[in-house]
Amino acid sequence: MSRRLFLGALAAIAVILALVAAGCGGSKKSSSTTTGGGGGGGGGGNASALPASSCSPIYYEGSGKPEFIFASDLPLQGSGRTQTVQMTEAIKFILKQHNFKAGDHTVGYQSCDDATAQAGKWASEKCSANANAYANNKSVIGVIGTFNSGCAEIEIPILNRAPDGPIGMISPANTYVGLTHAGPGTAAGEPDKYYPTGKRNYIRIVAADDYQGAADATLAKQLGLKKVYILNDKEAYGQGVATDFKNSVSKLGLTVAGFSAWNGKAASYEGIATKIKQTGADGVFLGGLICENGGKLVKDLRAGLGANVKLLAPDGFTPISAVVQGAGQAAEDMTVSVAGQPNENLGATGKKFVKDFGATQSSGQVDPYSSYAAQAAEVLLTAIENSDGTRAGVSDQLFKTDVSDGILGAFKINAEGDTNANPVTIYSIKGGKQTTLKVITPPTSLVKAA
Amino acid sequence: MSASASTEALPTRWVPRVGLLPAIGLFLVLLVLVWLGVNLVKEPSAFAATFLDGLTLGLVYGLVALGYSLVYGILELINFAHGDVFMLGSAISFGVATNWFSLHDTNSLGKLIPALIATLAMAMIVCACLNATIEFVAYRPLRSAPRLAPLITAIGMSFFLQNVGLRFIGSAPVSVPNILSHKAVFSIGGHEYRWYQLIVGVSTLPVLFGLVYLVQQTRQGKAMRATAQDQDAAAMMGINVNRTISFTFFIAGALAGVAGLLYAIYTTNIAYDQGFTLGLIAFTAAVLGGIGNLPGAVLGAVLIGLIQQFNEGLSWHAPGSDWTQSIVFSILILILVFRPEGLLGERTPEGG
Amino acid sequence: MTYPSGTEGGFDARALWRQQRDRWHHLPERTRTTIVLVVQVLIVLLLLPWWWGFAVLLAIFFALYWIPEDLAVPLGTRKLRVRAFVTPLVALALAILYPYVRDHIDSLPGVGPWPQMDTAVIMTVYAMMAVGLNIVVGYAGLLDLGYVAFYAVGAYTAAWFASVQFAKQNIHFGSVGVGATVPGIHISVWILLILAGIVTAFIGVVIGLPTLRLRGDYLAIVTLGFGEILPQVARNGDNLGGFNLTNGPNGITPIDPPGFGKTLHDATGGALPDNYLALADRNKAYFYTGVVLLAITVFASLRLRDSRLGRAWIAIREDEIAAAAMGIPLMRTKTWAYASGAFFGGVAGAFFASFKSSTFPNDFSFNISAFILSMVILGGMGNVWGVIVGGAVLAYLNQEGLANIGAKLGIADVPLYASGIFGAILVIMMLLRPAGLLPSARVRAELEEGVHDQPLYDASG
Repeated sequence: MSRRLFLGALAAIAVILALVAAGCGGSKKSSSTTTGGGGGGGGGGNASALPASSCSPIYYEGSGKPEFIFASDLPLQGSGRTQTVQMTEAIKFILKQHNFKAGDHTVGYQSCDDATAQAGKWASEKCSANANAYANNKSVIGVIGTFNSGCAEIEIPILNRAPDGPIGMISPANTYVGLTHAGPGTAAGEPDKYYPTGKRNYIRIVAADDYQGAADATLAKQLGLKKVYILNDKEAYGQGVATDFKNSVSKLGLTVAGFSAWNGKAASYEGIATKIKQTGADGVFLGGLICENGGKLVKDLRAGLGANVKLLAPDGFTPISAVVQGAGQAAEDMTVSVAGQPNENLGATGKKFVKDFGATQSSGQVDPYSSYAAQAAEVLLTAIENSDGTRAGVSDQLFKTDVSDGILGAFKINAEGDTNANPVTIYSIKGGKQTTLKVITPPTSLVKAA
Repeated sequence: MSASASTEALPTRWVPRVGLLPAIGLFLVLLVLVWLGVNLVKEPSAFAATFLDGLTLGLVYGLVALGYSLVYGILELINFAHGDVFMLGSAISFGVATNWFSLHDTNSLGKLIPALIATLAMAMIVCACLNATIEFVAYRPLRSAPRLAPLITAIGMSFFLQNVGLRFIGSAPVSVPNILSHKAVFSIGGHEYRWYQLIVGVSTLPVLFGLVYLVQQTRQGKAMRATAQDQDAAAMMGINVNRTISFTFFIAGALAGVAGLLYAIYTTNIAYDQGFTLGLIAFTAAVLGGIGNLPGAVLGAVLIGLIQQFNEGLSWHAPGSDWTQSIVFSILILILVFRPEGLLGERTPEGG
Repeated sequence: MTYPSGTEGGFDARALWRQQRDRWHHLPERTRTTIVLVVQVLIVLLLLPWWWGFAVLLAIFFALYWIPEDLAVPLGTRKLRVRAFVTPLVALALAILYPYVRDHIDSLPGVGPWPQMDTAVIMTVYAMMAVGLNIVVGYAGLLDLGYVAFYAVGAYTAAWFASVQFAKQNIHFGSVGVGATVPGIHISVWILLILAGIVTAFIGVVIGLPTLRLRGDYLAIVTLGFGEILPQVARNGDNLGGFNLTNGPNGITPIDPPGFGKTLHDATGGALPDNYLALADRNKAYFYTGVVLLAITVFASLRLRDSRLGRAWIAIREDEIAAAAMGIPLMRTKTWAYASGAFFGGVAGAFFASFKSSTFPNDFSFNISAFILSMVILGGMGNVWGVIVGGAVLAYLNQEGLANIGAKLGIADVPLYASGIFGAILVIMMLLRPAGLLPSARVRAELEEGVHDQPLYDASG
């Protein structure tokens, strides 16, 4: 008995300590209003918030409580953080411009995080938990996201089956082809396996990888390359875009010298550089993310291959400042392709957004993806405005998107959820800064082959 | 005579028998040699370049592996936190070299050398004290607990230190400016071998020799070996066991500091999780060479470095960079299955 | 009960600890009883106005605490100890009630809202894995740093046989919510849970056979190696000689949901859901499934512990030489520990994959292995109940607790340092309370008295 008494006393002390800590944390009843699942009335300006564990508080400055909320689903941890946080800022900026209204509906916004600290990037269980939270919270009318295609693979089917759904999803950044249409590089059953109800609910305003792969292949051809070596980081995005690039360059008649992986945890890529040098390749495509030790890879490739071999990277190597930070001098002259128009080519609306939004940012810089996030918010708000105020209605409206003078210019969404605006901007790094090299709109025949 | 009579009664004993396991092991080694040979013939210049890169990388691994081996030798503890002490060594070197001295390869030798020595001293002292503190706080109270206990605190410490690194380095790898010259020393078939690689590689050798001297020749080294053999007996002989163990961790920490600086110079990139990844490789190297055996650790590390670069750099039937991690760990498993005492280790009742 | 000699010198938190404990023990028993009772009542009363849900929960546990340990009721020829069966029953009842009361109870003190339902599901999954790992680490004393490999094998087994991954096949057997024309292999998730367990146990044996001869820390490293190799195989598995086994980094999504099918649904009057995904409140169904699986795991784990095999494991853990001398076949016994631990890891992995409806190679990092190990250590090696508590608490903290605490304290970065916090927990636990929060009496005795864990090898090995 004495041991148990001792334990009991210990437990008591622990509980008292916890209580003291709780008191210091300032916890009172007010903090307990969050209801995650199940709760929440549908209308009448009484939206209930998504759980605080992965989402920010509701951003809403209109009168009363908002009728609906929409969420953004982005990885807010890890090395892409500056980029994704600015995207959420851009969404807030647009919502505020609209006075938190979409037509007659009042709308609030929550920014949700699909990354875990352990992973430092998106994590599958977080994606599925988030998607379930959206599905179960009846106030959620639409979702902006995701950033990573792998995460979208998990979330689309869950939102597709959501009650009163499907819930419409609009991604400013997913580029994996198989999410919306089949192609040479996609897996069996794609894209239908993501839409179990048979109804589409996912659109993206960014061109898919097949466009980017085709554009980079066109660039390779225009640069006069004969033989390219293709690396990928063995992540869903990197392998996808690398495969699309491979298919496109083959179609254009360039030789593929090799296709292999780089390990983001390795200490050295000198061996890879030696191997590439042996193949005599005059260009290397880096299909992957800058956060997978891309800076070191660029350094070792530049050192091993010399200044004359071209390094081509897709939009995984953004923000370009991170490339410069990670690779230093070695990043000089490499190209980075980003789907869409460069900021300086944007129309009047786009330019105004860059100027006004840039003024609110301490850096003064607007990342290209922030424009996409802002455009996604515009599209979603329009869809809510034109809808009948139901999830399914908003989802249907997303596919009727027809923007004539948006932040990204004019574009339409087709039945598969893809955008018809497919220019790809090629940036080149000069003197540690991004400069626009050219804008490539790849021909459809090439895209189909990717 | 009677002995020979008895052996004649059992003639089969004298037939050289090769067990199944050694035969398979031998076969695997032969396969690797054939593969290397063909690659050498097909692409001699790439082979030579990869060899040099692998050697350099392996020597850097070796510095970390020495720290594992040293601690394992005396406490039979896999000090998981060692990799992370090494990572902090890199972070400190980076901070000192860039923030205090703004070192760069354009600096004159007159500035470079004293600044490098100061950086090295700083990294070594901080890491040595850190490592000794870790031993004092996390391992010493568990000296006589079952083996699992300190191993688990070591893992916990490793995670903790990794997050300390995360706090200072951030989650993205940070680029270190070129501190030593990146100009070519010589070039083989267009593949350049550079000064910084040469200097980093060569720097590991005096460290190894100094360490072997310390352990084999000095009084303190004798105390270390005695403690490693039998702590109780060593204590009875008047050796202060606790101080000896602290000293060992101190030295291992200093090694991690050296490794941290050289690694930062060599890879020109530091990341908060480099310690874990490299620590695993270094530990594999230490096991490969025979854990507790110092030259063995370096030999093992060089072999791992070579295997890694050969796998990624050679063209003929190389599994390639997709499989590097698997190959390294398969080697670890194969070594533990076929020759648990390692290449240079002695066969002990515990090891095999 | 003395501590071994190794504590001389060094930072000795335990000496201070012992001193305080001895002081307490010198008080008369009646005083101690009164103090504890008064403190408990005070705590409950204090909490009641602010966090009544938590207060009620505490009151229930305090009440359980006062059931005398030796109170027993006769049951046939045997005596049934009241506490031994009341505690699990109360825990089960609380778990069953949880989805209904969650929305009505107040927040957790100092943390935030009670776990959401999907977090609760993940808590059951991790608790299951922790109970599985406990068999290997807690019972048999074999340190496994690659437990995530078993989770991976289980998850991929479920993914292969319940998705469109093998689109050339068209095999349907008992799967729910999948049209008959959908390509791929679709087998009922219930069958797959068992199949995943068996496949994983087999893999466990395959991994174990060459490596279990090695002594403790070498074994740890080898398992760690396997834990690093398997995810890479999964990553590269989209092109194994041209065959797409794992779909590589794209992972396998979606995976079929569990469900009992229309026949059972109608036969039970709707008590058993037809298809989990068709439910409005699917997390509740997943949660109950998780609880049932966990209960089965716990039951099996306890029966195993008390079986001949379980006693052999404990004997090996305590003293290999003595165990071998008493005729315990070391290799076979260790392999069984591995296989049993792997089995539950596989089942949990398959269930988790079906819940997440996805499997990605990224899900299986070393962090997860260390995380599950932390649960076992935190809860108390060898004690199933402690391990469940450890698993549930850590899974909750990782999933939402740390973020909630961070939000409450106004520090957004708390989750960023999750692994560091868990690392610190590991270190502090080993130093202050090496046997865990709710230790098994045996393990505590071993830790306090020290054991001879000199390694020994099976005569046949």
